[in-house]
Amino acid sequence: MKATSDIYVRRRIEAITGLMALGFALLAIRAVDLQWLQADKLQQLAENQRQREFSISAPRGPILDTQGRVLAESIQVPSISAIANEVPQGRIADIAKALGMQKSRLVQRLRGRHGFVWLARQISPDTAKMVMALNIPGVRQEMEWRRYNPLGPATGHLLGFVGVDGRGLEGLEHSMDTQLAGLPGRMQVRRDARGVSLPGGAWLTQPRMGRQVSLYLDATIQSLAYAALAEGVRIQGAKGGSVVVMRPGDGAVLAMASWPGFNPNDFHRYRPNQWRNRAVTDVFEPGSVLKPFAVAAALETGRWRKQSRIFCENGHFRVANYVIHDDHSEGWLDMTGVLARSSNICAAKLALDVGPERLHHILEKVGLGNRTGIGLSGESPGILPPAERWGPVETATIAFGQGVAITPLQLATAFSVLVNDGMHVSPRIIRGRTHGEPYRVIPKKIARTVMKMLVHAASPEGTGVLAVPAGYRVAGKTGTAQKPDGHGSYAKGKFTAVFAGAVPADDPQLVIAVMVDEPQESIYGGKVAAPIFRHIAAAALPYLGVSPHRTNHDWRSMTVADHDSSRPETGDALPSLYRRSLREVRKLASASGYQLHVHGSGWVMRQKPVALSHMDPGAVLEVWLDD
Amino acid sequence: MNPKYHSVRRWLMLLLLPGLLAAAQVGMAHKRLELARQHDAVQREVRSLHAEISRLTLELATLSRPERLRRLAIAELGMRPPTPMQVIRP
Repeated sequence: MKATSDIYVRRRIEAITGLMALGFALLAIRAVDLQWLQADKLQQLAENQRQREFSISAPRGPILDTQGRVLAESIQVPSISAIANEVPQGRIADIAKALGMQKSRLVQRLRGRHGFVWLARQISPDTAKMVMALNIPGVRQEMEWRRYNPLGPATGHLLGFVGVDGRGLEGLEHSMDTQLAGLPGRMQVRRDARGVSLPGGAWLTQPRMGRQVSLYLDATIQSLAYAALAEGVRIQGAKGGSVVVMRPGDGAVLAMASWPGFNPNDFHRYRPNQWRNRAVTDVFEPGSVLKPFAVAAALETGRWRKQSRIFCENGHFRVANYVIHDDHSEGWLDMTGVLARSSNICAAKLALDVGPERLHHILEKVGLGNRTGIGLSGESPGILPPAERWGPVETATIAFGQGVAITPLQLATAFSVLVNDGMHVSPRIIRGRTHGEPYRVIPKKIARTVMKMLVHAASPEGTGVLAVPAGYRVAGKTGTAQKPDGHGSYAKGKFTAVFAGAVPADDPQLVIAVMVDEPQESIYGGKVAAPIFRHIAAAALPYLGVSPHRTNHDWRSMTVADHDSSRPETGDALPSLYRRSLREVRKLASASGYQLHVHGSGWVMRQKPVALSHMDPGAVLEVWLDD
Repeated sequence: MNPKYHSVRRWLMLLLLPGLLAAAQVGMAHKRLELARQHDAVQREVRSLHAEISRLTLELATLSRPERLRRLAIAELGMRPPTPMQVIRP
């Protein structure tokens, strides 16, 4: 009995031992499977569960004007996103209400989607706060960079705009996107068992802010130019217009504006054809503003001189089967008179004498028919037909600006050639960008002669007198051109009014080109575009510190405008200006109505009269300053 | 001295040392976590200050728009644009 019992116990022990051995063997096999055969895959799964990578966007670099003022900057604004399948259906109406959207739109965005979906991008912080206060599962707030242009429409065409994904879509934002765009960073963080991120993440790549772009543009002049253009276009009931303001010496574009403007901060409210920078993308027939170049080409032949006289055929001149007319019939005119009276016939006769090759050469060299290479997207090269295709009619009409098409920027660049003693300087707007070397187009003497003629063209005896601001002289030329109708002919009643010139004529600091499209009140450049030129020059020159009376560099004079303001405590209270700053003297003179003559700069060392107590308003106060 | 006592002390020391090291490790891990948390907070603050700087720069640019200054100078301060006959840069 006992033996049977022992055997039973032993069998049981053996069975259990065998099962245990089998169990251990299975465990060992599984261990080998997990730790060895599937090790890589499982390791990867574990890492994925434990670690999370996400990208952090970087802001775009700012765009600054010539004085370092911000023209475009990126700031962080909230956006609302959701994990689509986690958002309760019953709460969609609440989200839509907080976002100010239609519920159907939101339902459409979430329907049938799993995972991440944008609900509203780049919204106001208050709206985002309202949405987040609802505490709806699956709804999240993200921060995104949004671009703002503080000058709004004034710089809209030039700077362009940026899409919600942070890429530049128009203007400088587009052409300089590589430099402006920030480099997003990637960060790796560890997560706990509940998926919550643990502190102490590691950067895989650091986010890098985009590089800044500095321009030659001056925000003040840009604002002045935009306002003057807008006013000019409004007065004329015109379709639009463009202005380019350049510093001829180095080709710096100080302002470039077009009307109608668009607000880049709200660009989607405008049609795409309103986005383009018409100062570089749109071409127009320049009309008579090309005549100075025909005259320069004629002078260059040596057959014509400043005093040479030319018969203007009393207003009618036939070239082949084409009859050229002058608005005012003229008889004999000298070369200055050709520009001052803006005779088409005389310009045509000069061009026919010069020949197509020479005229084409000069027009091409001043920049017509080629992109300026300023670095703005969508720039048009304009239209300058090859000289081989110029017959007598083409040669004659191109001399007064028909049959060619240019951009306002090309016009300003071409006039800069005359200002720069015949040297072509490429226009530039982006600092640090390389441009072509200056080259000679016209001999210095001829360029200066033409400039003197252009002063007459902007005098009471010329067509551009309305371009002259008080106190300055202008060298400029008007232009009035009929618009092509797109079918090889000219549109009836549609004109382009143009004025281009340099100011002050004696020492030009600015070249301004103004183009007004389809003016209604008047069609003439002298009446439509010239006043816009004057308004810009009158405001920009004092801002730039260009004095109207500069006889020599040591002498500065001014007449202080009379004021109605009461006189300050001068006289006995201020017997001497000795060691006073010029600012104080100017303030005193301005308040008292004195005419101030200033010698030198710095601090007052001497004054005349010595005592101020007996001076009347309007009297001359002369001060000598110590440099 | 009892050699048996020495042996027990040696064994105790051997057990205590890993215990101390383990405790130090745990303490260090907590410290590291705390520092990492502070580092993250500082980084968040830096980012937030950068964003604030951008916002303020933009606000400054918006408030000092030439067109706005011109309007305020004329309407509220009674100023006028300088005429060409006034000295601007002596």
